[in-house]
Amino acid sequence: MRRAPLMIVAMSATAGLTLAACGSSGGGSSSAASGSKATKQTVSVSITTAGCEPDKTSIPAGPTEFKVHNSGAADISETELLGANDIIAGEKENVVSGLSGSFTLNVKPGKYQLYCPGGKSKEKVPFTVTDSAAYRAPAVSAAQAELNTATAGYATYVKDQVNQLVTNTTAFVAAIKAGNLAQAKTLYAAPRANYERVEPVAESFGDLDPDIDARIDDVPDPAQWTGFHRIEKSMYQDNTLAGMNPIADKLLVDVKKLQTLTATLTYEPAALANGATGLLDETGKTKITGEEERYSHIDLVDMKGNVDGADQAFVLLQPALKKLDPTLESTISTRFAAMYAALKPFQQGSGYVSYEKVSQAQRRTLSDTVNALAEPLSQVAGIVVG
Amino acid sequence: MDSSRGRPSRRSALLGAVGLAGVGSAAAACADSSGSSGSAGGSTVASQVVAFHGAHQAGIATDAQDRLAFASFDMAPATKVADLRALMTTWAAAAARMTAGRAIADDESRPQSPPEDTGEAVGLAAGHLTITVGFGPTLFDQRFGLAGRRPAALVDLPAMPGDNLEASRSGGDLCVQACADDPQVAFHAVRNLRRLAQGSAVLRWLELGFGRTSTTSQTQATPRNLMGFKDGTNNIKSQDTATLAQHVWVGSETDQTWMRGGSYLVARRIRMLLESWDRDYLADQQNVFGRAKDTGAPLGTRTEFATVPLTAKDAHGELVIGADAHIRLAAPATNGGVRILRRGYSYTDGVDPETGELDAGLFFLCFQRDPRTGFIPVQRRLAAHDALNEYIEHTGSAVFAVPPGLRGDGDYWGSALLA
Repeated sequence: MRRAPLMIVAMSATAGLTLAACGSSGGGSSSAASGSKATKQTVSVSITTAGCEPDKTSIPAGPTEFKVHNSGAADISETELLGANDIIAGEKENVVSGLSGSFTLNVKPGKYQLYCPGGKSKEKVPFTVTDSAAYRAPAVSAAQAELNTATAGYATYVKDQVNQLVTNTTAFVAAIKAGNLAQAKTLYAAPRANYERVEPVAESFGDLDPDIDARIDDVPDPAQWTGFHRIEKSMYQDNTLAGMNPIADKLLVDVKKLQTLTATLTYEPAALANGATGLLDETGKTKITGEEERYSHIDLVDMKGNVDGADQAFVLLQPALKKLDPTLESTISTRFAAMYAALKPFQQGSGYVSYEKVSQAQRRTLSDTVNALAEPLSQVAGIVVG
Repeated sequence: MDSSRGRPSRRSALLGAVGLAGVGSAAAACADSSGSSGSAGGSTVASQVVAFHGAHQAGIATDAQDRLAFASFDMAPATKVADLRALMTTWAAAAARMTAGRAIADDESRPQSPPEDTGEAVGLAAGHLTITVGFGPTLFDQRFGLAGRRPAALVDLPAMPGDNLEASRSGGDLCVQACADDPQVAFHAVRNLRRLAQGSAVLRWLELGFGRTSTTSQTQATPRNLMGFKDGTNNIKSQDTATLAQHVWVGSETDQTWMRGGSYLVARRIRMLLESWDRDYLADQQNVFGRAKDTGAPLGTRTEFATVPLTAKDAHGELVIGADAHIRLAAPATNGGVRILRRGYSYTDGVDPETGELDAGLFFLCFQRDPRTGFIPVQRRLAAHDALNEYIEHTGSAVFAVPPGLRGDGDYWGSALLA
């Protein structure tokens, strides 16, 4: 846990699917989900000592790649597309003399200027984007509809997992309060798996994730340490439940808080994809090393939870991805299969063997398999936003 | 310290270094350190750019750059020959760009996608980057259907006396040698090729070299190794194409035609026991090498490039260059004229956690036409008798078949093997 929150969540239940707006970071890539490379239009901009010299100054709205080439202007090194109030809609920097580059964005109708700072006579060139059918009706595309289904499906999945988390935590807490250490231990793994499947969502709510899931190294004052791992230490290292009642009560309050907060969440396609990659990064950082469950050694349960959660997001995006980038879709499918195959030898009953029994070489193989999967998965967000 | 540079050298260097007696000095080229650097068959296309395509891979006869990043890979479990072919194709395209001083892809500034290139070489010059790829013996096991294509010369290196090899620093299905003027440029190359290999190949080991210990050009000064001695003067030079053809490049003698124009690379991680060495008195240090430490002159002579007096005796009738002196055992006259092209680098991996001593030494790299007549016999002799053995320990070892150069865009490493 404790990676930067990777799940971008929208709090409005009615917002539905909103595509990322362009220009927020001066980079600017966003287009309709239907904006595969085939439908992208191109504007070629030559940077000369005069300034910007585009091959056209008016285009219909829609996904557009601006190809920039500096054909020898030593004093100019960038091209920007400026919207109203000189807000940067997109830009390509560091295009020094002789170099080329490009930026891609889904341009909206309006009056723009191409800006090549340092140009002598064409520093700012007016650029018009006209209204177009392609721009007005992107949502009708099949891929777009599938992305809408994906995000709705993911919201359902998160709600379902969090409901199970509450149920399983309730049973776990009851065993603690009954003072039944043996039973509490057997009930520990189930809510952990639920939590690990949706952890990036929980991470978007400030202190809630640390309150539920902090390891001892994550808290500035061990006296303030709460959550699953505080109880895990007591059960497995101190071999007692003494003093755990208030921790257990707070844990149940916190997971119920998570239930309330996630009940109305909606998600964007890129958030699903980034969340999936984030889950695998979690696996690589704290599960492979055995840090996460250092007292109970159920790290493989957590690992499986992370993989399940990532897989769920991927499966939901899969129909759209098959249309947008079938090669990537096929690579990721194969590597998820390899990931499950790598975990399989460690299955024991309904759970997994203690992580202490996993050798250094076996941990290395698991790590290699996680990396092989996470790398192509990290490409998905950029594809589903266009 | 190098007043006689350019004259014929009889010098031999650390570990397996052998010179060919009687080879004169080829005409010195005029490149300076920031200027041209030709791969054999290639030519300079811009300042600080070494041609990527050519009859032979760059990074062998290329003027030795100052920095090294060397990685060994294993193919991932369950991969097939098609995956290997795809990896070589992907690597070739990326390497062609990086060696030209470019990122591996044009950055489209897509905020929702990870940048294709990792970015740390942006703004840095090409730095004479060369990327050299080789195939280890294990690649020719049963996994890829290549068992019948393994060259006879690609032998498993035999165990040598005094070896203390670690499996995690030895072997590998593939290797990438990245050399450059700038360490960040070299590391960037290996890092990005590794990233492109995710799912196809996994890193087995990685070594960084911070200073070259060999010269591969008439124009380069003789560097010193971490023991403070000059090393590599009498190496095979890029200008000496006849010697390269005779001793480095694989020719028609090979049983595997796909290796013609290639070479064989032996890598040895040779740890120097520097704490002990630094306590050895000067006269003994000089006797171990057979050279004066300050001038680099063979004992009994005055200048670095003087003929090594192998038969000279002192007033007591003792050999001036001892029977176990490194310079004698490595001398070409005592090795049947065998020559190998050395391209080693000094390395350090920090502190040995057990002893608190420095983990540093020579990451020895050499190229040859056939290891069976090159590295192996020379090293066997050194391992048995060299006075240096008291101060060194071989901790890593690998051998790779280095296929010929890439013909142009679309070609890839081992295309004649894998097509």
